[in-house]
Amino acid sequence: MFYAGIRKEDWHRSLEKLLTTYDIFVPVKDEFSLDYEPFRPDQAERIVYNTPKPATPLKNFFLPVRENVTSSRAGSKPRIIIGVPNCDIEALMLLDEIYLDEVFADPWYRSRRNNTILVASDCYTVNDHCHCLSYGVKPWSMAHADMAILAEGDQIFLRVMSETGREIAEQLTDIYSVDDAAADSYAEKRHSEAEELLTALNAGLPDYTATGEIIQKAGDQIWEKYAAKCVSCGACTTICPTCSCFLLIDKPDFEKVKQMDACQYPGFERVAGGEDALFELHRRFRNRYMCKYVWRPQKFNSLACTGCGRCIEACIGKINKNELFMELT
Amino acid sequence: MDSHTYNIYKPLRATLEEVIEESPLIKTFVLTPDEEFVFKTGQFIELSVDGVGEAPFTPSSSPLVTDRLEVTVMKTGYVTGIMHELKPGAVMGIRGPYGRGYPVSEFEGKEVLILGGGCGLAPIRSLLFTLEHMKDDLEKVILCYGSKTPADCIYKPLFSRLNSIDKFEAHRTVDITDDDWDGPVGVATILLDNVKVKIDNSVAVVCGPPIMMKFGTIRLLEMGYRDEQIYLSMEKNMSCGLGKCGHCMMGEFFVCKDGPVFTYNEIKHNPEIWT
Repeated sequence: MFYAGIRKEDWHRSLEKLLTTYDIFVPVKDEFSLDYEPFRPDQAERIVYNTPKPATPLKNFFLPVRENVTSSRAGSKPRIIIGVPNCDIEALMLLDEIYLDEVFADPWYRSRRNNTILVASDCYTVNDHCHCLSYGVKPWSMAHADMAILAEGDQIFLRVMSETGREIAEQLTDIYSVDDAAADSYAEKRHSEAEELLTALNAGLPDYTATGEIIQKAGDQIWEKYAAKCVSCGACTTICPTCSCFLLIDKPDFEKVKQMDACQYPGFERVAGGEDALFELHRRFRNRYMCKYVWRPQKFNSLACTGCGRCIEACIGKINKNELFMELT
Repeated sequence: MDSHTYNIYKPLRATLEEVIEESPLIKTFVLTPDEEFVFKTGQFIELSVDGVGEAPFTPSSSPLVTDRLEVTVMKTGYVTGIMHELKPGAVMGIRGPYGRGYPVSEFEGKEVLILGGGCGLAPIRSLLFTLEHMKDDLEKVILCYGSKTPADCIYKPLFSRLNSIDKFEAHRTVDITDDDWDGPVGVATILLDNVKVKIDNSVAVVCGPPIMMKFGTIRLLEMGYRDEQIYLSMEKNMSCGLGKCGHCMMGEFFVCKDGPVFTYNEIKHNPEIWT
């Protein structure tokens, strides 16, 4: 791992050159939200670095809402995704466990992973519902991405974390060496600022090590109470960076279409004989919590929540899972 | 197979050679896959009707036969309803085999007590073929099977054949009798009252509808079987078969990949197993 520096102007000029080889996505802010958009050199000033967080979870780049998984197709252009918050990078690690498992690797997911360069973004600030720290996830990436970006005025520091990241760095125009210790100390200053903001914002939230036990012990009463405001729309699962369940739909000539699905929808576990363990809405509601805080940790040794807070923002019933946790503790 | 070119979602085509009517609601589909198809007894496949849908089934044929596959299907829902209309010559799709089958090598030197109900006899028949092949290494095989009515019993000739094999015995019961039935009446577990089995040197296999799985397990535990001696073939909505889609989650397990065969010991901590 090392740091390199580049003027913002040169960085954007370099990205423009890289467009011949790569599709590039950058975080762009408009009056409503912050989200990934294809990089347009003439609109580089709209790019927002180090600010949480793109509305779209990173998973959407790897797990499209709907795709044919049986037809062969032409290889796609490699991609660079810039400005990924660490909550999404960590969530991707869980998706890797499921989609790149040794026995049944998903060829489409694998091809997209191999084809994608991830440039993480250290969060300098926080959003209303950010709570990564309570899950032991830092608001910056020190691994699992190829590079991380730290913008400061008209300068950009790049934390290069992989061999691929180094190869990209070598293609950047007018990149310059920086003293790693100085860059580290700058990053640490930013990190501790973000950590302070998060600590204040997350006061009262349970520690991630306790969440599984809290959820497991919760009685039906709490699920019925919170599920009363749930309409099974599935927004929480759609926007969640770790929710990755799907349905296979048969098409003529034995083709299969894979479509994202979720345990929040009625009928998710229904079998042909009619039994449906998740028939009642509050059972489905509970299922999502059990999956994230009890079952996934048992299976993959990792919580299936990284504290991005998008489910809270997306819920039309204004269900706030952090309030649920606080009520239980 | 090269893992970089193998597409986990793509079915293998298989021609439907014969359809055997087993009972009013159950048919066996005899298929010849386009390629050799190797599976372990207790593993399952996703069988598809082109353009309609697919559903999980455990083959009912012997795993020793790799050019022909038999799948016994109860008409239950949309896909199985259309399957039941298929005629020989139709081309079907097969994905798999998936999951963990019966660990038959662990049965060596033991008495195997099998409790089956309804269409649960399909996977059991495949297991019985396997056990017959390895009977020199087994002490005894006892099948206790229950069907709703005498007409609902599938593979009727299987019972007399099993009773003619050294070390094998097969018993039947029905929930609702008819004029021709002179055997026991009651749920499958009543047959356990009269079996002679050395429990310490035995394993029990249970496969059938959820209610039978639950009460069968309770009865076996009462008889003195230990949790780890009871093998359950769990039934969930296995959709992808690959441990990904999430439909078959039973607690922390993907039933399709971690099962479908579990010992009771492996899953008893989860209160959701019988739901």
